[in-house]
Amino acid sequence: MKRSLINDIKRQKYIYLMIFIPLVFYTVFKYIPLWNAQIAFRNFKSVRYGILNSPFVGLDNFKEFVTSYYFWNLIRNTLMYSFGKLLVSLPAAIILALAIYECRRSVLRKLVQTLAYLPHFLSWVIMYGILLSLFAPGDGIINDLLKSLGKKPIDFLTNSTTFPWLVIFSDAWKEMGWSAIIFIAALMGIDVALFEAAMVEGASSWQRVRYITLPAIRPVVVIVLLLKIGTIMDAGFNQIFMLYSPAVYNVADIIDTWVYRQGLLDGRFGLATAAGLFKGVIGMILIFTSNFLSKKYTDNSLF
Amino acid sequence: MKRTKATESVSVKLTGADRRFNILVNIVMVFLLIILALPLWSTIALSFRPSTFIGTYIQGMALPPWKWSFAAYHSLLGNNGFLIAFTNSLKILFQGVFFALLLTIPLAYGLSVKDLRGRKWIIIFVIIPYIFNVGLVPIYILIAKLKMINHLSAIYLPLAIGTYNMLIMKSFFEGIPNELRESAHIDGCNDLQVLVRIILPLSKAIIMTIGLYYGVAFWNDYFHPMLYLNKDMLRPLPILLRNILLAAGMNEFVEASAFGEAPIEAIKAASVFMSAIPMIVAYPFIQKYFTKGTLLGSVKG
Repeated sequence: MKRSLINDIKRQKYIYLMIFIPLVFYTVFKYIPLWNAQIAFRNFKSVRYGILNSPFVGLDNFKEFVTSYYFWNLIRNTLMYSFGKLLVSLPAAIILALAIYECRRSVLRKLVQTLAYLPHFLSWVIMYGILLSLFAPGDGIINDLLKSLGKKPIDFLTNSTTFPWLVIFSDAWKEMGWSAIIFIAALMGIDVALFEAAMVEGASSWQRVRYITLPAIRPVVVIVLLLKIGTIMDAGFNQIFMLYSPAVYNVADIIDTWVYRQGLLDGRFGLATAAGLFKGVIGMILIFTSNFLSKKYTDNSLF
Repeated sequence: MKRTKATESVSVKLTGADRRFNILVNIVMVFLLIILALPLWSTIALSFRPSTFIGTYIQGMALPPWKWSFAAYHSLLGNNGFLIAFTNSLKILFQGVFFALLLTIPLAYGLSVKDLRGRKWIIIFVIIPYIFNVGLVPIYILIAKLKMINHLSAIYLPLAIGTYNMLIMKSFFEGIPNELRESAHIDGCNDLQVLVRIILPLSKAIIMTIGLYYGVAFWNDYFHPMLYLNKDMLRPLPILLRNILLAAGMNEFVEASAFGEAPIEAIKAASVFMSAIPMIVAYPFIQKYFTKGTLLGSVKG
């Protein structure tokens, strides 16, 4: 056994050689942060003192986070954005995919398809600029319309009623084309013979959609939903961080944005790390759940 | 679309219900087209709006091209800060993609070799940090300790291997028949030569796809530059754009635009459009690779 181990390693020395540096990368950039995460259990003041010199405080940081008045607010917002986005984006993506698939006008189809994928590649900074052109308080299309209707202009980005809707719908606008790709692929995989048979039997277009097209994308919807379970805690940091402002912290703050402000702006490293770990543990449980369920109900799994 | 042709060859005559269905589909498509195009157009039109323009926003969007003003673009392109930021973004993009592929490809290939001893443990080693995300602060402390603050490498090095991208690439390599590798071994190639001479030429599509994933992520990243780069000379385009939009970095542009007399809104919109241009130009080329890549990822991540 031992000899064969040495032989194996010798035989594949070039493979070990080529994965060596990437594994060093993992050790430095993934495992040292894991080690650093112990500051969640310490009263860590600054990088200069070092981690091990900071006093150990047990679960104090976690207690402070969980019992604070903002805790439930953060959880509520995180879940609100996660589920809100899913509820809007998923039907939007399915409708887009169906429309693209059923459309007989090839120019219109190509145009919509191209425009639908494009926003996925734009950053949230660019998206913020685009949203300003639509929703800016003084200028911008929507307020222009409101004014022409004799109504008062609304600052959608700093109004705590409109802000969540803006977050959810701007995300749907940006990502619906991208999310539709997987549905379009499923539709393209439908056997043409099914449609031919349906036409011979005299099925109408509606019946074809109802009995052939929709059933074809149902398994994909299941996969997407199962994968989504794993990322419920990620409500869209880059987006919300770019769009929010102190006026809407109350409805905008998710765990990630709060961790940033506490940890890196206010210097409460221990508390922020505790919140990050809290999120990390829940995220891990969700990923395992998602993976377990998709292994059970579909053939897909991450690991 | 194959199906369209096939159904049309079979169908004899469209019934009234079928025709209504097609009309509905087209209405939905036109509606989607408007929803998708309007926000883009409103930004582009705003960037060309002359300072002499008086009227509503909608009228501004319908302004004919011969009345457009290029003042906003003149003042942006004549501005040193903008050019520096653009250069920094390009540096991050190219250096980032280079290092990302340099690290991701060998690991993905190594882990795709099924009979590699300890493969299972190495995969677990790689996946643990992917599943358990410790958040922002521990990584920030690491970057600060490594003295990488105010180095462009702080933006791309910590992100040089995306575990998800690596797993997609690994499952692609796993699909290449093992016989190729074995016969190359018999011909006297070692594994490095196998990777460079046999695997890589077969994997252009996946390398393009993953390279583009990395490229888009690096080009669009504003958060890490905001964390790690706090010198003006180092800031990339998204940071500059963010400052312009949040009006913090507006002064230098207002001065510059004194020559070009472009309205501030036009400068904001022009800088949005200019930051998006590289993505829009590259988009037709990357579209096919991207769609392929997502499907690959969704079938087996």
